[in-house]
Amino acid sequence: MASHSNESHAVDYKKAKSKHSAKLHYLTFSLSMILTVISFYIVGNIIDPAREYAITSWTFGLPFITLLAIVQALFQLIFWMHMNEKGHLFPAMGIALGGFIAFTAVIATVYWLGW
Amino acid sequence: MSAHSHPGVLPPHPESATLEGRNKLMGFWLFLGGESVLFGCLFATFLGLRGHSDDLLAKNPAEFFDLTTVAWSTVILLVSSLTSVLAILGMHKRNTKQIYLWFTVTVLLGLSFLGLEIMEFSNYTNHDSFHFTQTAYASSFYTLVGFHGAHVLFGTLWISLLLLQLTRKGLTVVTAPKLYVAALYWHFVDLVWVFIFTVVYLMGKVA
Repeated sequence: MASHSNESHAVDYKKAKSKHSAKLHYLTFSLSMILTVISFYIVGNIIDPAREYAITSWTFGLPFITLLAIVQALFQLIFWMHMNEKGHLFPAMGIALGGFIAFTAVIATVYWLGW
Repeated sequence: MSAHSHPGVLPPHPESATLEGRNKLMGFWLFLGGESVLFGCLFATFLGLRGHSDDLLAKNPAEFFDLTTVAWSTVILLVSSLTSVLAILGMHKRNTKQIYLWFTVTVLLGLSFLGLEIMEFSNYTNHDSFHFTQTAYASSFYTLVGFHGAHVLFGTLWISLLLLQLTRKGLTVVTAPKLYVAALYWHFVDLVWVFIFTVVYLMGKVA
């Protein structure tokens, strides 16, 4: 890389920027792992036949693990899929519209068919 | 954009340096919006049919869903999503070796995920006699999870072909956007899995 003479300032700029975002990517990974472990732990705890030390009930567990999934998805969208970078207005609109229709479909089916 | 005046030198963000690249990115996001609708409908079908199969053969998935396998699949896919973003970081540093390394790891992890899924499905059909056509619930389960698996398969093939193209054409403003959107696709596949392990497996285990 150093053999090219006319790219020095671009490389410096890139180095600074990629160092910064690498940290955010590792952070997103750690957070995703932690949220996943919490979800599995909660469900493992609820279905534990012993249940003497059950920390939670399903009434709390169901919305909570759903929330954890949404938080994890948002972090991955923003950092891993670079939504935090400039020029992502149309992508954000596209994915938000898709997400909205998907969400509506899920809510409608669950509501009409009862759960 | 100024880097255009130096042929042979890649601009800092090669994936969005040309109009074609930028269009590709935006078009791909719209495609991902459509994919969300597809998976949303499959999730809706699955949730609607869950617990609504009157069939005597209807199985309670809590009896055979193996959370250990699902946990391994989740870790594998999560790590592969990280490795694909590391490949893109390598691309931004114009480090082709890093692109090869991390995308190859991504593909290998994707293949191990598929291996686990095939093992899981064959256990369900052979050992637990839970078949695709058994109940509407079973169909919706296999369609949703299988469609995700098909996306993983397509992703591994796509990324492998792009790596092959990279060896022939090198990293240019033409190949960079392709690698970038392939990584986006891979993240999206991982993102869908987050909802699959939560809604299908974890919730299925309790309901």
